Amino acid sequence: MILTSSNTLENKTVIEYKGLVTGESLIGSNIYKDLFSGVRDVVGGRTSRYEEEIQKARDISLNSMIEKAENLGANAIIGLKISYDNLGGTMGNTILVTAYGTAIKYE
Amino acid sequence: MELSNKELTKSEKRKAVLCISLGTGIGLIVYGLFLYFHIDIYGWNLGLIFAPLAAGYAETILANKIIGEDIGAISAFILFIDTVIYSFILKNPTLGWNLITFGSIIVILQAAFPTLINYILLVVVGGILSNFIKTIKDYENKIKSIYKKQQYVKWDGPDVIEDDELILVYDEEESNRKINDLDFYFITSTDMKTRKHEIVGIYQTEVILDKDRRIIKLEPEKAEQKVLSNIKEGKDECLIRLAEKIKKDGGNGILNLSMTYNLIGIGGDNIQITARGMGIYLQN
Repeated sequence: MILTSSNTLENKTVIEYKGLVTGESLIGSNIYKDLFSGVRDVVGGRTSRYEEEIQKARDISLNSMIEKAENLGANAIIGLKISYDNLGGTMGNTILVTAYGTAIKYE
Repeated sequence: MELSNKELTKSEKRKAVLCISLGTGIGLIVYGLFLYFHIDIYGWNLGLIFAPLAAGYAETILANKIIGEDIGAISAFILFIDTVIYSFILKNPTLGWNLITFGSIIVILQAAFPTLINYILLVVVGGILSNFIKTIKDYENKIKSIYKKQQYVKWDGPDVIEDDELILVYDEEESNRKINDLDFYFITSTDMKTRKHEIVGIYQTEVILDKDRRIIKLEPEKAEQKVLSNIKEGKDECLIRLAEKIKKDGGNGILNLSMTYNLIGIGGDNIQITARGMGIYLQN
């Protein structure tokens, strides 16, 4: 499955537009993660725990989207968009990760 | 202590005056002792509370023994007047009008006139407070509704947030099928090189979801799943409405489709899902 944010696939011809595919995931509040992050805020350094969580959430969104594209019979997704939105939460750490694009069939 | 409605005879009245005088005398002695031994808290003499209470208590005991009934602890009120005049006007200490002074006045008045003060506290003050809170709440709701009306159109479709079972019934595949079976092209890229098309116009639709406002959630993971399910349902609804809007104007697709998720409202009470893009008509 090819994923691209561009409109076309170079050297390939789009033969069919299969439809819209989306994937969403949510990172919620976690007391241990928040406490660890709080310590990092004081002593400095990267909050790798959060980075891992965001990567995990992005993977869930992308995989969900890819699965849907495969079910539609597509072999690529073009015009891919990924967004991260803060939805508030207890400490402002509920983050929605969304991925969507157009499933296509190319040759 | 209860105020009696029974008329007192002349003799009883004299006895009542005696009880009040004795009660007042005892109250003055108590106040004198408090002043003499400087029983103060932050410069505030406790005698201001205890002297009227002692006066009223002594008077009630004496009245019950001599007359056979309460006469209303009038000495407590007299002591209150005496102590306030002495403390505030004659002696003029650092005592000022603050919460403690106000509270002690209420306590003393309550001892002297229980029915009246209780009525004022519970009915009048309680009524004023509840009305005040109601008025504030009404204004808040009014401001919220004006704010929402000005910028957004509330989704009048089925409520997707209240149903706890929603998490169990939400089906990703069904959702995908529903969106892609609309006989409509949702294209996230900015053009379709292989297909000719005519532009219909710019389109946008919004769906607003209520957010769970509870600060403490007993099952945070379940609550988050519920939020996510609501968002997915809201997104589907938003896309369906966008397609219907464009179809109505003769289009059959949308280019450069983009979707955003934002918190809106006072205190971020709602989640707004927006879908927008360029409505097009794709030629066969």
